[in-house]
Amino acid sequence: MSETALDLKDVCLSLDGNAGRVEILRDLTLQVERGETVGLVGPSGSGKSSLLMVMGGLERATSGQVSALGRDLSAAGEDALARFRRTHMGVVFQSFHLIGTMTALENVATPLELAGHRDAFDRALQELEAVGLRDRADHYPKQMSGGEQQRVALARAAAPRPDILLADEPTGNLDGTTGAMIMDLLFDLRERHGSTLVLVTHAPELAARCDRVIRLVDGRIDAAGGGA
Amino acid sequence: MRQAWRIARRELRGGLRGFWTFLICLALGVAAIAAVGSAARGIEAGLSRDAAALLGGDAEAEFTYRFATDVERGWLEEIAEEVSEIVDFRSMAVVTRGGEAERALTQVKAVDGGYPLYGEVVLAPQMPLAQALAGVGDLPGAVMEAALIDRLGLEVGDTLALGTQDFVLMARIEREPDNAGGGFSLGPRTIVATLALAGSGLLAEGTLFETQYRMRLPEGANLTALKAEAAERFESTGLRWRDSSNGAPGLGRFVDRMRSFLVLVGLAGLAVGGVGVSAAVRAYLASKTEVIATLKTLGAEGRVIFAAYLMQIGLLSLVGITAGLILGAGLPLIFAPLIEARLPLPAVFAIYPAPLLEAALYGALTALIFTLWPLARSEEIRAAALFRGMDGPSRTLPRPVYLCVIALLCAALIGAATLLSGVPELTLWAAAGILGALVLLVGAGWLVRRLSARMAKSRALRGRTALRLAFGAVGGPGGEAASVVLSLGLGLTVLAAVGQIDANLRGAIARDLPEVAPSYFVVDIQSDQLPGFMERVEGDAGVSRVDTAPMLRGIITSINGQPARDVAGPHWVLRGDRGVTYSAAPTEQTKITAGEWWPEGYSGPPQISFASEEAEEMGLSLGDEMTVNILGRDITGTITSFREVDFSTAGIGFILSMNPGALAGAPHSHIATIYAEEEAEGAIARDLAQSYPNITTIRVRDAVERVAEIVGGLAAAITYGAAATLLTGVVVLIGAAAAGERQRVFEAALLKTVGAVRGQILGYFALRSLLLGLAAGVVAVFAGALAGWAVTVFVMEGTYRFEPVSAVLVIGGGIGATILTGLVFALRPLAARPARALRARE
Repeated sequence: MSETALDLKDVCLSLDGNAGRVEILRDLTLQVERGETVGLVGPSGSGKSSLLMVMGGLERATSGQVSALGRDLSAAGEDALARFRRTHMGVVFQSFHLIGTMTALENVATPLELAGHRDAFDRALQELEAVGLRDRADHYPKQMSGGEQQRVALARAAAPRPDILLADEPTGNLDGTTGAMIMDLLFDLRERHGSTLVLVTHAPELAARCDRVIRLVDGRIDAAGGGA
Repeated sequence: MRQAWRIARRELRGGLRGFWTFLICLALGVAAIAAVGSAARGIEAGLSRDAAALLGGDAEAEFTYRFATDVERGWLEEIAEEVSEIVDFRSMAVVTRGGEAERALTQVKAVDGGYPLYGEVVLAPQMPLAQALAGVGDLPGAVMEAALIDRLGLEVGDTLALGTQDFVLMARIEREPDNAGGGFSLGPRTIVATLALAGSGLLAEGTLFETQYRMRLPEGANLTALKAEAAERFESTGLRWRDSSNGAPGLGRFVDRMRSFLVLVGLAGLAVGGVGVSAAVRAYLASKTEVIATLKTLGAEGRVIFAAYLMQIGLLSLVGITAGLILGAGLPLIFAPLIEARLPLPAVFAIYPAPLLEAALYGALTALIFTLWPLARSEEIRAAALFRGMDGPSRTLPRPVYLCVIALLCAALIGAATLLSGVPELTLWAAAGILGALVLLVGAGWLVRRLSARMAKSRALRGRTALRLAFGAVGGPGGEAASVVLSLGLGLTVLAAVGQIDANLRGAIARDLPEVAPSYFVVDIQSDQLPGFMERVEGDAGVSRVDTAPMLRGIITSINGQPARDVAGPHWVLRGDRGVTYSAAPTEQTKITAGEWWPEGYSGPPQISFASEEAEEMGLSLGDEMTVNILGRDITGTITSFREVDFSTAGIGFILSMNPGALAGAPHSHIATIYAEEEAEGAIARDLAQSYPNITTIRVRDAVERVAEIVGGLAAAITYGAAATLLTGVVVLIGAAAAGERQRVFEAALLKTVGAVRGQILGYFALRSLLLGLAAGVVAVFAGALAGWAVTVFVMEGTYRFEPVSAVLVIGGGIGATILTGLVFALRPLAARPARALRARE
């Protein structure tokens, strides 16, 4: 199996906005090794989150090649990407993005169920225990604080024991103390599962916890601030 | 107020986006009521315009069983410029081919040279009526309706017989100007000249016929005065007066009743629309939470905000109601040629303000009732919402003052409908039904949510991701169970109720009745024919029972010396003439409930045995004196017994029976019911017609089919109304699906992120729709069955039987509607890229 977790070559991403076509990522090439932790930093609008989405197959690059664990994501169909994510990737968002009509336990069990795990709920409960929310398993997202919701999101991302964890500003909507706790949990989970972690953040001290920091400016990797 | 108006005006700059459901729901409800009202008013105007033609004259004097006396005729000729005499009766038309006779029941109209005084009888081939009735050679002519010609396999020029008189068929009746007002008839029409019937034996004394004397009155004749004079001069002779001020009273009543039913169904539709209106306002206000919180931060008071949004919703309601009125007024005008072609009634389609005002009033009240609840809650949004997330107010109920206003508005709506419908009792029941259904559906929505939430957590569903997700979505917070079950459920409930009532009614007529009903109902048996008649039927092995009774017709004119209507009100027994009989002893089936039957051989003053149920309704007691006018002669008797009369078996049942001495002297005929095996029926009818050409045998099965046909027509009209209600329900459903589309896009994106393929997501959406449709359908069938039971048992006084076919259709319809809309609105979520959908929520 490839030792490279993520391999991006000459990736470009353009999106149509209200003001016309906007170039988000420009000829971006980078590799992330298995087990590596990478911090993506840069000013707002520099393309950090978009890069993370491209890495997760949630956004299709306009040109260039994106591979994860040796699999070419650029050529894969929508369903094939979903199947790949269910076994190999976990994603954490700044706004938690839990499904409001599901309890914490159901949210965490869903990717495991989709992957066909018969013990989805038992494993989900373990994951909730790992983030300290076993007693909140039957609560709906609306009944939980922001920090608790993000912990459920972390448990959901970690539940399939993914090879790659993608986190998009996971502390952006939280206060300092809660944010620090979430980051500890994130790094702890990564450690436990030996996952590769790509973390988008504005906070230099969080980025500093990563093995490598890549700075994006205007859709390109800023050689001065870190590089591929 | 000016502040509120300024805010409202600025907010409305955003246009009508997000308000389509609101506008369509309101417009559809108002349009349905306005269209029904306008069409009914058009028909009423048509009836009024053509009243003389429908009646056949400016005024009419009608007699049962007899022709007018010289005195009566003399007065009629004195007041009128022209009098035309019509004789109307049922008979058998007989065609003989190769020794085999073919028979069919027909409603014969025998006319004189003056007929028709107004309008024109249109024949095919075209010819004047007089020419057609003159016939060919020695044979008088007859003209018939196409249905009868087809049934007897006749062609123009063929010979047929009525009684013992032969006629030549001269033409087909294309249009009979005075037919629409005639009411229910069992057989298609035949018109002949009265003179030609002289030798037919059909108009002998005691046979059942009616005579109508139509009059062309001088210009400006005072109808009210003439009516009063007729009543005064011929109070006791049984003369019934009708005039063109109300030419077709039965028809007018029928149209009015239909209008009332359909308006009530329309109100149910408006209630369904109200649910959509309420949902749209709630969604709009939810999207305005930030704006409201900001306005509060800037110092706006709760009442200013309430007024600002009330003004916006008020303006939008105005748009919706106006659109509904335009649609409702326009539809009858657009479809006028189509409606006129299918309607056997004259109609003047135009824009009538009264039904439009009525529809607008209902629309405005409904809009207010359903928007006040969510609007009232806008007051409670706090400025802090800006800083603590954008959730709306947490309290479920608005302040008590708003609840009181909503209750008052509901009372005003029900009150207005009760006053304007013309059927107050039915309206109140319908209102109670709609309110009950709303409460039931809200409860069912809550139950469905609770059950779904429980199911989603059930261990049995673990691993069945799509099903668990579907239950989770239906049962979880923010689920659409309540609004879908309410909106679609109410529409389906109306449809289910109509289905259950219709099926029960048809079932009662077609299935239950013939089990106990006779095969034939025979009328006009002359007294001297009775022994022969009995010999033929009683000697038939296929006949299990024969009942006969003397038959006269009479009008109850007074009770205890007072005009009958003053004593008993407008009871149906007093409307027109009723069958009257006499009997020395009670029959085996007679059940006396009070008093005693007259002794055998009684020859004292007349005694009466009256139907107990009707007596109770009319407030009669034993010992009351009742005057009945029979063939122009008043007979006063004392009520000495009450007895049970069951009309549901189609057997012989007389409201009023007298001792033989009171009536036997009057000329009369006999009626009979024959209970026979189906195989024996044909031969009996043939032999009776051959031996006694004057008597009429009515096959009960045919009559039942005819009644079922009419009931079917009524049910179809009400089903269309119910379908309009369902359409509103579907609009609400589409509105809810459209409003939930963004949420589904987000859910699909999230599910894709955690590894769901599109098939799984589609399955989840479909299952979710199926669950909601199933829930709405099942609840609707339950509520519909409840309504069906109530109407069948309490209104129709029948036995209720759950009809599964219509129930399955309703549930299937519910599922179909939700799955279809659910899947249409699943296309975008399935196609959307996860990253963009998720980014939109950041």
